Amino acid sequence: MNNPTIVDIRNLEKKYGKKQVLHGIDLKITSGQIIGYIGPNGAGKSTTVKILCGLINEYEGDITIFGNDLRTQTLEIKKRVGYIPENAVLYESLTPMEFMEFVGEMRGLETELTRSKAEALMNIFEMKSNLNQRIATFSKGMRQKVMICSALLHNPDLIFMDEPLSGLDANSVIMVKEMLIHLAREGKTVFYSSHLMDVVEKISDRIILIDQGRVIADGSFTDLNKLSNDENLEKMFTRLTGNTNHGEKAEAFINAFEK
Amino acid sequence: MIRFLLSLFKPFRWFIEKMGADYPQFIRILELKLTLDNRRMKGLGNNSKKATENALGKQSFSQIIFGVLFATFLIIVKSSFTYYYFAHTFLMVMMAMMIISEFTTILFDTSENVIIQPLPVKGNTISLARNAHVLIYLSLMAFNLSVVSIIVAIFKFGIVSALVFTFTVFLNVLFTLFLANMLYLVIMRLASGEKLKNLLMYFQIFIAILFMAAYQLGLNMVDKTHIQDMILPVYWYTYLVPPAFFSGFIESLSSFIFDRQHIIFIVETVVVPAFGIYLTGKYLTPVFNRKLMDLEQGDRVSKIKVETVRKSLWYRIMLLTFVRRQEEKAPFKLLWTMTGRERLFMQSFLPSIGYVLIMIIVPFFRKSFDMNELVQSNRYLLILYAFFFIGTTLPVSLLTGNNQHAAWVFKTVPLSSPASYFKGFIKAAFARFFIPFYMALAIVICCIWGIRVIPDVLIALLAIYLFTSLYYYYQQASFPFALEKSASQGGAAFVKIMGLMFIAASLGFLHYLLLHWFAFANLLLIPLYLGAIYYMNRVFVYQKISWETVDDVNNYS
Repeated sequence: MNNPTIVDIRNLEKKYGKKQVLHGIDLKITSGQIIGYIGPNGAGKSTTVKILCGLINEYEGDITIFGNDLRTQTLEIKKRVGYIPENAVLYESLTPMEFMEFVGEMRGLETELTRSKAEALMNIFEMKSNLNQRIATFSKGMRQKVMICSALLHNPDLIFMDEPLSGLDANSVIMVKEMLIHLAREGKTVFYSSHLMDVVEKISDRIILIDQGRVIADGSFTDLNKLSNDENLEKMFTRLTGNTNHGEKAEAFINAFEK
Repeated sequence: MIRFLLSLFKPFRWFIEKMGADYPQFIRILELKLTLDNRRMKGLGNNSKKATENALGKQSFSQIIFGVLFATFLIIVKSSFTYYYFAHTFLMVMMAMMIISEFTTILFDTSENVIIQPLPVKGNTISLARNAHVLIYLSLMAFNLSVVSIIVAIFKFGIVSALVFTFTVFLNVLFTLFLANMLYLVIMRLASGEKLKNLLMYFQIFIAILFMAAYQLGLNMVDKTHIQDMILPVYWYTYLVPPAFFSGFIESLSSFIFDRQHIIFIVETVVVPAFGIYLTGKYLTPVFNRKLMDLEQGDRVSKIKVETVRKSLWYRIMLLTFVRRQEEKAPFKLLWTMTGRERLFMQSFLPSIGYVLIMIIVPFFRKSFDMNELVQSNRYLLILYAFFFIGTTLPVSLLTGNNQHAAWVFKTVPLSSPASYFKGFIKAAFARFFIPFYMALAIVICCIWGIRVIPDVLIALLAIYLFTSLYYYYQQASFPFALEKSASQGGAAFVKIMGLMFIAASLGFLHYLLLHWFAFANLLLIPLYLGAIYYMNRVFVYQKISWETVDDVNNYS
């Protein structure tokens, strides 16, 4: 691997009150890759992403991104990072154009450039006609598209995505998957956190599986598969996270509500 | 506490069920609402916790103080009928204003619909729980406001009279809540969807101003020298005035007067609130609920017209005047756009303009008003500094809204200090909502007092800008419209407003004194304020607002 390391995480720990959610995560991420970051609910995926994006400041351990320390050189990092949060919460009274203009201007882009980029990006999602309509009237998928466009406005080198396909229609999902592959080919790095195993399996160059705040598997799907012989990522996921008895659980569930 | 409050509804179980509600479900929904209020008050961040924990205490204290002020006015009244008539009128006005300004959002809250509506719960149960929720806070407020009047009544008219008065306070609460429901239903019949939301907003603003006007006019028209011996006559229409029949009821039971007039008062006092609340629960709330669901659906389907205010010449002039730094430009633009569309902002801010205009205009209608005397006086200072109230309403109005989870966008932007955001926000709000009104006022003042007062107009403007900004920087560093409005916080801003009024009066007085002492005081005040504003914008705000303070208050998830 000749690509440079752009994210270096050493012994990352995070506590919420007394509850420890991340237990010493160590990761090195190189450029031009799509990283599939997977794990069960409450494993610490969103917490990791929020720390890496600078949304959570209190954590233990050392993180450098593009060679900059996350604690002391946050601004340098944020300039080159794009973030798509899990929940597409936007200012409802604004229009997508106004929201993107704000984001663009705060990132130092010229208004005209922001506008033309916003138009082009929204056009790809077939939402150009909605550019001047208030976000309050949008469906979940439409909001998600606005989020994706606004995160890519400044042409970031590293993109953090927390369930980016949530609420998108089938065509948009295919389009976003293709877009991610193209971005990686251009040398961008995509840190992709998701529950959609089939998507992660297909697009990721590297898969990192965390459970209870610890990395329990790390490698390409082919490499991981060589070790385990699971037929797909979903099977591997359930085995590694110790949840193989789904049939029994489903039966118990049905018994519980039929009582 | 929640258990205790819920137990108060137990004796009325029969009545609640008669109105078509399922009592156990009603109690469960009410418990949920009170628990949520309780959690909200405990807050998430350290600062917000401190600020909200004492909200109910501060609110109660301010209401009791307000009650003391009113009781000092009442203490001289000899007639018990007149005493209770004024006490109930005061209560009704205060409660109506509180419902309109604070509780409308709670009455029209549809956020829980997604959770409760799919459950097998009757619309009446949900609406009654919603009304009961407001009723709890309204009762607390009514008792806070009237506790001093009750104590005074014990000494003036005896314990029985005071006890009956306490009972009628509760009836007054029920009646006012019924009136509010009725009024809102009438409005709901007139429009639907987005139009209804706008109509409601302007109605709230109109009513708030109307009450203020009535209150100011009432105060100015009552001859205070005669109030001591005032005995209110009973005409045919007196029977239609709620404070009159509440007062007649108290007089009747405490003095054992049971003539025809008092029996009518007794019947009205018992029947009208009970019938009103029955009518509300049984027939009005189902319509209310249905309309409320339309309101929610309306949001999803309607295409909302988008204004292009940012392209206006006024916007560009204000941007050039107020914004020097590039990083303040986008927040300035963002807030300028949002303030025109956020209903909660309009509801909380626009009445302040009406209040101030009324405070300024009403004295002109006094019998003793003399224009020549006015021109000779320094009364323009009083008028200029009255605008302090408008300025300082802005920071409070920028806090609450429905954007609790949209703050993440500010945190992801590469900005070393969040102070630039807050500078941009308050400048935009001030430029858009204060400057135009102040300029109009300045023109009127210059027409009356001449151009000699221009330096004073400028000084007052600088003083108001300085203190409005300082007030904004000193309050919770919440991103615009990101603090949730809860029923328990209703009226908590009163203490702050009293404090700010004191500052306004002090600044006006300082200005007046300096002018009185030497003619060139302006030469001292203008550079003084300009220097203070420069220091505030260049140094103070960056020390005051850091990412630590902002992170404490805002939620990025």
